[in-house]
Amino acid sequence: MPTLRIALLNIRLVMRTKVALFFTFIFPLVFLFVYAGLFARGNPNVVAYMFGPVVTLTIMGSSFWGLGRQSVTQREQGSLRRYRVAPIGPRTILMSTLLANYLLELPTISLLLLTALVFFHMPMKIGWGALLVLVTVGTFAFAGFGLTIASVANTMQEAQIYNNLVWVTLLFLSGVTLPLPMLPRWIQRLAMFFPSTYLVSAFQGVMAQAEPLLDHGLEILVLITSGIFGLLFAMKLFRWEKGERISTRAKLWSGVFVLPFLAMGLWMNTRADPTAMWARSYNVMGQISAPAPNPQAGKSNLIENFDGIQASEELLRRWQVSADSDVSGHSIGEISLLTPGAGGTRHAMRLQGHLAPGPKNPQGYVSARCDLRIPANSEGLRGIEFEARGAPRVYQVGLQPPTAVGSPIPSISFVPGEAWQNVRLPIAWLGNPAKNGLSDGPWLLEISVTGPPGEFSLDLDEIRFY
Amino acid sequence: MTPECSYRQPDSQSCNLAQDVKKWLDSLMVSWEGNSVLVSVRNLRKHYGDLAALRGISFDILQGEIFGLLGPNGAGKTTTIEIIEGLRQPDSGSVSVCGFDPARESMALKERIGAQLQSTVLPDKMRVDEALHLFASFYKRSASVHLLLEQFGLVEKRHTFFENLSGGQKQRLALALALVNNPELVLLDEPTVGLDPQLRRDIYSLIEHFRGERRTVLLTTHYIEEAERLCDRVAIMDRGRLVALGTPRELIARSGHGTRLEVRLAKPVGLERLKLIEGVIDCQEADGAYFLHAQPATATIAALVRFLLAQDNALLDLHIAQPSLEDVFVEMTGRRMEH
Repeated sequence: MPTLRIALLNIRLVMRTKVALFFTFIFPLVFLFVYAGLFARGNPNVVAYMFGPVVTLTIMGSSFWGLGRQSVTQREQGSLRRYRVAPIGPRTILMSTLLANYLLELPTISLLLLTALVFFHMPMKIGWGALLVLVTVGTFAFAGFGLTIASVANTMQEAQIYNNLVWVTLLFLSGVTLPLPMLPRWIQRLAMFFPSTYLVSAFQGVMAQAEPLLDHGLEILVLITSGIFGLLFAMKLFRWEKGERISTRAKLWSGVFVLPFLAMGLWMNTRADPTAMWARSYNVMGQISAPAPNPQAGKSNLIENFDGIQASEELLRRWQVSADSDVSGHSIGEISLLTPGAGGTRHAMRLQGHLAPGPKNPQGYVSARCDLRIPANSEGLRGIEFEARGAPRVYQVGLQPPTAVGSPIPSISFVPGEAWQNVRLPIAWLGNPAKNGLSDGPWLLEISVTGPPGEFSLDLDEIRFY
Repeated sequence: MTPECSYRQPDSQSCNLAQDVKKWLDSLMVSWEGNSVLVSVRNLRKHYGDLAALRGISFDILQGEIFGLLGPNGAGKTTTIEIIEGLRQPDSGSVSVCGFDPARESMALKERIGAQLQSTVLPDKMRVDEALHLFASFYKRSASVHLLLEQFGLVEKRHTFFENLSGGQKQRLALALALVNNPELVLLDEPTVGLDPQLRRDIYSLIEHFRGERRTVLLTTHYIEEAERLCDRVAIMDRGRLVALGTPRELIARSGHGTRLEVRLAKPVGLERLKLIEGVIDCQEADGAYFLHAQPATATIAALVRFLLAQDNALLDLHIAQPSLEDVFVEMTGRRMEH
């Protein structure tokens, strides 16, 4: 079977090229360590959230810089010409390229998965079959992208320009590097037109929140459609030799390739706003994986439920609010008592205000802090949880130590919804703080909001250890 | 190893009796010399924009012969061979190769032909034996890779990457690749271009071996020596036209230039007087030597001696050179071949 033979040979050729080997296997691992080690700070739930972007990045990289580039190189170098005099057609060449790309992708992603599971204890909330489906669909869709660019570009230089344009756009505006809930609303709207957004969102939905794959059926359908479009284009515009140029008209035809994304983007923007879904996945970063019922959890672990506070003055004695005025900002924040609290309790706390950045600080900043003592007997405790609701923005919650310590400072980001939601901040060492010498002195629980200018409002209640 | 070009059994899937009978009849088409015609080209025309690459060429290639297309760069040789291979479509004219129309039955035709491209490039890290095994796997009928490695002197290099092969080794691999399907027609596009004379002679030996195997070969070249040494028949092409066709001997014999005589004389003689000698077609002087183009040469030499004796002159030096295809090309086109 010529397709399989060429594909296997192409894989062997990659294995013999050190640079290709590095970019195929080592580079994605570097990304995983950066994402999981630096961004996620080793938090298993955050690693689960970040795994999708890492896999998407890997798939995109191999499609644009591997498959797409290789197709143009073969044509430019003239090695495709030799196949041309054999009894095989463009379909065999294209399918073998796709197959080789896919077969190289599988061990790479398996390696990423194994690393995430073994080194970062990533919770596996997705079935193997579902993961394989997502990887297969993603690889197919982006291979279509790579092949379309390779078909349209007349020279390698042209291909590099197209690749860079698409690559950089998708990299920064579709949740591959920066989580979309952290980005301004207009970028989120723009992101709804990009295929990588759907792949990242599907991965994060199933990996971080254990959503069924079918919840992302529409995204998967669009990705498959784009892959089919790309393959059809590549077949239609296939060229054996560099001397064969493609007309501007044919290039314009390739615009049809973006139609599924255009339709999907319009539909998402007007009908099915996915930002809440993205926020849900984002919040899940704070949830511990498969928490076992904790016998220690209860009233005894309560840090603050605001019910005993009679007036706002008392609240202000326990909580301090600060804003970005020390860096020439103009943000304003205040806290107040709210009645009733979460679940009909007496009180909750509201942190609200306005983010207005100054010339030295493009992002506004407001935080509310309170002192916190780690219980002497914290055995069985896993972290801090609280109930939150508010206007959809990215908030951070972190636990600052009394003095500088070597261990990572626990922190998570979350986006509240309109209804009360439980948010958890896992603290890896909490089970045995004495051993680590971390329980001395008051700790600082900090809830902060940063981002583009505008109003914010966050309600908090029932802060406790769990 | 005997090449065959006879009735191809139609398979039940694509049985079209009328077409198969036509192919069979075509394949049995017999030339006046008694060999069947394997390639038939009729009034072929091809334009690239405003440039006329082929201006209506016609020729036949007979089974078992080595047929050469000789001409300078831009003569239309590669376009012709690529149309025969089915890689390009002619604007008009007809081509039949092994009974197939290359434009419409390209896949079936490729099973029967082997092609060596003007420049064969393979991926840098592809090994010699991998390339042969891979390309052999594309065909229904394939030759033994081991035998090909032996025949083309590549056994020692079978595990070598393409990027590490010398120019001559790459060319031998290209020839071996053209034979992986044991083809009845081998198409060689400039098989020795860019090689030094020694490597060129090595390749000549390999191509001459094809003659022993009774393979039909079409080769393009702009080397006169190559065409004279290898080809049974040569078609001389210039600017998209076929200006002469025949065996090298026929073409030279047909040439009006005759034998070239280079003579040095004791006393100078006027060119006009030399031109009056029997059999002299043309006469030139350069560096003290006289170049006489004579037909027939023997009578001219005898008349020259008589003339010199009568003039009390003496013949100091005499070289006799038979005309070459180069002379034929110059005569036909009015230009020298560019090397």
